Amino acid sequence: MSTQPAGGHALGVAMKRKEDPRFLHGKGRYVDDLSFPGMLYLALVRSPYPHAEIRNIDIVEAMKVPGVKAVITGKDLEAAGLGWLPTFHGFDKQMVLAIGKVLFQYQEVAAVFADTREAAADGAEAVQVDYAPLPVVADPFTSKADKVLLRPDREQKTNHIFHWEVGDKDATARALASSPKRIKQRIWFQRCHPAPLEPCGCVAYFDTMGRLQFHVTSQAPHVYRTALALVTGIPEDKIHVISPDIGGGFGNKVPVYPGYVCAIVGGLKIGRPVKWIETRTENLTSTGFARDYHMDVEIGATEEGRVTALHVATTADHGAFDAAADPSKYPAGIFGIVTGSYTFPVAHAEVDAYFTNKAPGGIAYRCSFRVTEASYAIERGMDILADELGIDAAELRRRNFIKKEQFPYPSALGFTYDSGDYHTTLDTALERIGYKALLKEQADKRARGELMGIGLSSFTEVVGAGPSKHFDILGIKMFDSAEIRIHPTGAGIVRAGTKSQGQGHETTWAQIVAEELGLDPQTIMVEEGDTDTAPYGLGTYASRSTPTAGAAIAMAARRIRDKARKIAAHLLEVSDADVEWKDYKFQVKGVPSKTVTMKEVAFAAYTNMAQNEPGLEATFYYDPPNMTYPNGVYVAVVDVDRETGEVKVRRFVAVDDCGTIINPMVVEGQIHGGLTEGFAIAFMQEIQYDAEGNNLNTNFTDYLIPTSLETPHWETDKTVTPSPHHPIGAKGVGESPNVGSPAAFVNAVIDALSPLGVRHIDMPITRDKVWRAIHEARRG
Amino acid sequence: MNLQYGGEEHIPAGLDRVWTFVTDPEQVGRCFPKVVDVAVQDPTHFDAVVQVAVGPVRGKFKLKVELQPDTATRRLDMKISGGGFGSAVDMTAGADVVDAGAGATTLKWNGQAIARGPIAAVGGRVLDAQAQKLIAEAFATVRERLSA
Repeated sequence: MSTQPAGGHALGVAMKRKEDPRFLHGKGRYVDDLSFPGMLYLALVRSPYPHAEIRNIDIVEAMKVPGVKAVITGKDLEAAGLGWLPTFHGFDKQMVLAIGKVLFQYQEVAAVFADTREAAADGAEAVQVDYAPLPVVADPFTSKADKVLLRPDREQKTNHIFHWEVGDKDATARALASSPKRIKQRIWFQRCHPAPLEPCGCVAYFDTMGRLQFHVTSQAPHVYRTALALVTGIPEDKIHVISPDIGGGFGNKVPVYPGYVCAIVGGLKIGRPVKWIETRTENLTSTGFARDYHMDVEIGATEEGRVTALHVATTADHGAFDAAADPSKYPAGIFGIVTGSYTFPVAHAEVDAYFTNKAPGGIAYRCSFRVTEASYAIERGMDILADELGIDAAELRRRNFIKKEQFPYPSALGFTYDSGDYHTTLDTALERIGYKALLKEQADKRARGELMGIGLSSFTEVVGAGPSKHFDILGIKMFDSAEIRIHPTGAGIVRAGTKSQGQGHETTWAQIVAEELGLDPQTIMVEEGDTDTAPYGLGTYASRSTPTAGAAIAMAARRIRDKARKIAAHLLEVSDADVEWKDYKFQVKGVPSKTVTMKEVAFAAYTNMAQNEPGLEATFYYDPPNMTYPNGVYVAVVDVDRETGEVKVRRFVAVDDCGTIINPMVVEGQIHGGLTEGFAIAFMQEIQYDAEGNNLNTNFTDYLIPTSLETPHWETDKTVTPSPHHPIGAKGVGESPNVGSPAAFVNAVIDALSPLGVRHIDMPITRDKVWRAIHEARRG
Repeated sequence: MNLQYGGEEHIPAGLDRVWTFVTDPEQVGRCFPKVVDVAVQDPTHFDAVVQVAVGPVRGKFKLKVELQPDTATRRLDMKISGGGFGSAVDMTAGADVVDAGAGATTLKWNGQAIARGPIAAVGGRVLDAQAQKLIAEAFATVRERLSA
């Protein structure tokens, strides 16, 4: 694996990450590192009740706490027209601070501003709120009955939020009815949380020109600027959003949270900078959760194992507000990818979402909108079907894969898959894991009563939103952008509308520019996250950066190359038409000895441009014609202790196809991180609520993050089928391992337990669940 | 988190004395475990501040207490609500005060509590055991004061 660009070639090079020295030396600059003269601290009073009427809020004692400068409540905000903020989904609104009643535990009730963080916390503790508890709706199935109306503020007087469906309902029903084999399974993808190590936070102040300076942990700074302008009425030119270094986002830092609005209001009201930094508990209990889809999966098939139809009916728990960060035309996101990697002739998917007394969310945790839920459903379903048919799980997949020659493939639910070679990817994975030998070992162990499982997941993701004709946030179309400036010495700067939170954009964006222009990636600076300087973009989430901004960078670079060609022609003393870009240089056609480098052209662009416009820069707004479809095959091997229920992941092979690879080391890092998060979801993580609506997983003691001790060793490999519509053929990879891996883990555990008759266990697969399943199977 | 308790406590004091004690807000308030302050509002209402430590969750709870005595039946019901450090508790308790003869009295009591917030989440594993300990401490204080 090459680690240094050579001869202008920069794509596919495992360059060390340019940002890492900063982070490894503790020089990253995060929001909580910022300090301004006179800065106040904000603490939020949160409700211990999941559903209660607010009879009174008494701030008298709080105002007596030394250092407390102000306390604001929902009524104060409502009087200022700031009581509610729109959710990014666009069809609901969320209370900034509770007005009249609280709808989930830890909901924001009052904001306390003080000289120190401690005084703010003391002030929050001193705010007296008189609550009258109301009946709690703790699950969507209870919500469905509408016995307790949670959102009387809405025009629609039910707890039902939306019904969404795609596909041919009648044809699917007919196909299922006539299928010789059918399986049906309720599969719950539990409520979990992205839990970035850096929680959410901001510093807000109005500068001497009355301009809002807003430093914030945002994955989408430009969208924040527009949203804040819409919510607060502050003209957009008077808002400057800056996202500094971010310690992980995973979708959690896409929504605008009440703390941000309170910090801005406090800054305006008191006339001093205000900092708000969440605690871990606040992050886990009130910011965007993920998943919580109860999916009834039904697959029809022939006796030979050819799939005939798929139906998935989902009941979704959205919590107290519909704050799922999904595009407005797609309230259930891109769940239609649920047909996966298989040639279903017909399919139908439907989602019904309900309010409950839980924290709002439904964000895309390291996945394109709702793709992880969909992938998990189909990959579990295929394994259950394989078990039902008595066909090897790999063989069943092979029989039903979309074939290489079928791409671009129109799926039954409306997607056009761009490219892939699923059979080769499967073969690569099976060879790497030693599948045949494992099957023999498993048979031997089963004969001895030992529990060993092999689990497959052969997923297809869909990422890279836009196209703008389909996707938006708050009506803002989803495209992305890049601006490149090449300086006279051949160094340069690229700015993009995306925002890295650890993805490595400072390296990979430079590599794209270097590849396109034949420059040294070490001299290409990357800047993101500042709305005053970066071109407008929709941000980084849903694996969209490389498919959109990565494409915009390549296209902007090509615009620069087009202009540079004219200057090169001047330098080479030929006409434009006689100049070609070859081997990372401009060359006179047919005369390999007459060349000029981009570096030389760059200097000429400022010193010897002849009749050409001076300078060498370009901007490109890229609206993708289609999404990209990264895919992969993952294989997990587990051993289960029959007596304790403990699961040991012995091996895990991940073969990913993310199209053209920009930096293999960055890709491998992304895969390692995503697999580790998938492992945590499969075996450890769930945001649980008891019947009274108590959130039971409020810190890292109860919401577990795997350490190196628990995390399995990851073996990675690749196949490469470039995206035909992306300028450099890249598809995106950050989320594939989190999308694809949970099913592989669960399938492996169920495969281990299948001789006992165990058919399904919902995640997280804790040892007590496994132990119970084994013992219930023993009892028959 | 929903907690339910009940039991019988033998008090070595006569019924009238026990009844007078348990219906006096000042006296009852001072028997609350780890009580820091009691402020009597009227003959049937008082506020109490108690120190709470359940696992790693520690701080002060401010409680509002309402006594509902029925002298005719010697039945005392009690409503307690309040909280602190982001947690809340709502409790109801009832006791039948019964003459046990020989100058002694039996309190036949039951109660239930709903805990919410960090005290239920973080302290959840030890809350039940801790609550039982606090109940035992409260009755021990009642016995001690009435024995004096």
